[in-house]
Amino acid sequence: MDFEPTQTQRAVLDALGALLARYAGPERSRALAARGEYDWNLEEALRRDGFLDLFAAEDAGPLDATLAVEAIAAEIGAVSAVPHLLVLPALGLDRPAGPVVLAAGDPGPVRYGGEATRMLVADGDRCFAADLDSVAAERVPSAYGYPFARVVIAGRAELAPGSAAAMVNWWRVGVSAEAVGMMRRAADIAVAYAKDRKVFRRSLGSFQALQHRLAEVNVLVEGARWLVYEAAFAGAPAEAAAVAATHTMSALGRVTRETHQIMGAIGLTAEHDLHLWTLRLQALRAELGSWRTPSRAAAEARWATA
Amino acid sequence: MEFAWDQADVAFRRELGDFLDRELAEWDRSETGLGSAVYSEFSRGFVGRLAEKGWLTPHWPREYGGGGQGAWQHFVLGEEMWRRGEPRGPQYMNVNWVGPAIIKYGTEDQRRKLLPPIARGEVFWCQGFSEPEAGTDLAALRTKAVRDGDSYVLNGQKIWTSYANVADYCFLLARTGSAADGRDGISVFLLPLNTPGAQVRRIPGFVGDHSFNELFLTDARIPADCLLGEENKGWEIVRRTLAYERVGAPRYARAALVLDRLAAEVRTSGRLADPGIQEQFGRARAACEAARVLVYRVIDERAKAKEPSPMAYQARAAMVQAERAVGDLALDVLGSEALVEGALGDAQFRNSLGAGIAAGSYEVQLNLISRLILELPKD
Repeated sequence: MDFEPTQTQRAVLDALGALLARYAGPERSRALAARGEYDWNLEEALRRDGFLDLFAAEDAGPLDATLAVEAIAAEIGAVSAVPHLLVLPALGLDRPAGPVVLAAGDPGPVRYGGEATRMLVADGDRCFAADLDSVAAERVPSAYGYPFARVVIAGRAELAPGSAAAMVNWWRVGVSAEAVGMMRRAADIAVAYAKDRKVFRRSLGSFQALQHRLAEVNVLVEGARWLVYEAAFAGAPAEAAAVAATHTMSALGRVTRETHQIMGAIGLTAEHDLHLWTLRLQALRAELGSWRTPSRAAAEARWATA
Repeated sequence: MEFAWDQADVAFRRELGDFLDRELAEWDRSETGLGSAVYSEFSRGFVGRLAEKGWLTPHWPREYGGGGQGAWQHFVLGEEMWRRGEPRGPQYMNVNWVGPAIIKYGTEDQRRKLLPPIARGEVFWCQGFSEPEAGTDLAALRTKAVRDGDSYVLNGQKIWTSYANVADYCFLLARTGSAADGRDGISVFLLPLNTPGAQVRRIPGFVGDHSFNELFLTDARIPADCLLGEENKGWEIVRRTLAYERVGAPRYARAALVLDRLAAEVRTSGRLADPGIQEQFGRARAACEAARVLVYRVIDERAKAKEPSPMAYQARAAMVQAERAVGDLALDVLGSEALVEGALGDAQFRNSLGAGIAAGSYEVQLNLISRLILELPKD
C-alpha cells in the first residue's frame, strides 16, 4: 500500500496541467459551451502528447489514466475523456477522432451526442459498438454545461462477450473520477468564499454550522476520491467500481447543495464560475443513474442479490 | 499510489485467519458487548494464546515483548479481529495505544514493569479521561493530583470509563497545575486500580454492558513513579494518544461484517431482491468502504513514520458515518425482528448511537477538519 503519487503520476499530472492550462479552464469552457462544441483541439493535443495511451502504457496504467480523467474534468476540458482514456482502451478498441458516447440501454439526451459518430451501448450482458448518424442527431437545449443531443443509430455490431461488464465498470470509475475532480473544485470555491466573505462582522466560514457542513463535504469527497483510485488500480472490478460510483454519486448531491448554499445568490449567477462545475455534475449524476443504479450493482456484486 | 497488499501481509492475513477460525470455532459471536463478563473472560484466555503466537503486540519493539512488525501488519491484525467481532475484548486499547504511549513516554522502569504483562495479555487497562464536567472539553478536567513526598495523592471523579469494571490499570489524566493552566497543568498517571481510595461503580447503559463506569478517587495515594512523562506536560501525550485512538480500531470492519450478515438474513426472507433494499445495502457498503480507504491512508502515513496528520479526523468521521449507516439500515430492513434482545440489528443499532461520542465526538472531528484541513477562520 502506498498512497503517495509515483514519480510517473506526478510527471503525468504536471504535463497534463500545462496542457490543460492552454486548452481548458473556465474561460475556454464557457466559449465552447456557448457554441455547443466539442473541443477537438484538446482531444488532438491529448492524443499527440500520449495521454490517450496511458491506460496500457508500460510505465503508466489505468490508475494514471484515471488521474488524468479527474484532472481534465477539474479543468472542464470539453472532451469525452472517459471513453478515450479508459473505456475504449479497456476494451482494446481504437480511439476514433471526436466524441464517443457511452450509454446503457436506450439513452435519453447524451453529452456530445450531436458531434459523436460512435457509441458504446451496454444492454444487459451484451455490448454493442454503434455508428451514429450525426446529421440526424437531435440537439436539445440544456443548462447543464455539455452540448446534449438525442442520438440516431446508423448501425451496430456486437462486441466480444464480457465487454458489457468491462465497459460499465470502467464507465463507473471514469465518470466518478470526473465527478471527484469537479466536486473538489466546487468545494474549494466554497471554502475560499467562506474565508473571504464577511457577514455579521465575522467571516462566513467562522460559523460552526457552516464549518461542519463543509467538513462533511470534505470527508465525503475524500472518501469518494480514494475509492475511485483504489478501484482504478485494481482494474475496475465490479464491486469496487460500483461502490466507488455509489459513494461518489451520494457525495455529489450533498456537494452541490452545500456549495451553492454557502455561496448564496452570487453562486447562482452566470457570471460566477461555480455553476461550471456544479451543473455539469448533475449531467454525470444522470449519466450513471445517480447513486441508485450503482448501489444496486454494488449489492449484486457483493451479495449476489439476483 | 499502490493499493495492493505486500505478499508478506497477505500471507500473514491468511495464517492469522486460519488460526482465528480454529480458535473461535466455539465462540458465540452474538455476544457483542466488548466489556461484558462473558466477553472479558473469553478475551483473557484468547489473548494469551494470541500472545504465544506473537500476535498480540506484533508492532511493538522486540525488547518490550513485541514482534518488531510494521503498522500494516498491526492493522491487518485489527481488521481480522474486528471483522470477527473483536475477540480481544478491551485488550485492543492496551495494544493499540496504552502500550505505545508507555514505550514512547515511559521511563525504563515503567516499561520493564508494565509492558510485559500487556504483551502477555494478562491485564486490562482503561482510560480515565472524561469527568462529569469535562468530556469533549477535556482540558476542563478537575481531578487533582498533589505531590506529597514520594507519592501523589489523587482526588476527583472520572466518568464514562469503559472497561473500568474489568480493568487492572487506568491511564489517568489529572490536574497537577492550577485550573487556570488549562491544558498546561495536566499530567498522565498509570494508576493501579487496586489502589486504596480508587473505587469503580457501574452505570447501567444500553450500548453494551461495558461502556459506562465511574471511577471515584478519594485520597488515593500512588507512588510518584506512576507519573508518565513530565509533570504538567500530559496534554502532548493525550494529543498523540488520541491521534492513535481515533484510528485504532477498524470499526468499519465490524460494520461491514454486520452488513454481510444482515444481507444473509434479508436474503432468507426473500427481500434482497427488492431494488429499494439493494440500494440501501449498496449505499451502506459504500460508506464502510469509504471509511476503510480513508483509514488505510492514515495507516500509510504511520507506516512511513510520519507525524500524525489531520487525515485521521476524516477517517474517524467516515467511520462514524459508516457505523450509523449500518445501524440505521439494520432497523430499516429487519423490522421488529431487529428489536429482539441480542439480534444483529439490535446490537448494531445500539452501538451506532455511541459511534459519534466515544474517542472524541464526531463534531470535534468536524471542528478539527475545518480548522486544520480547510483552514476556516476561528473568529
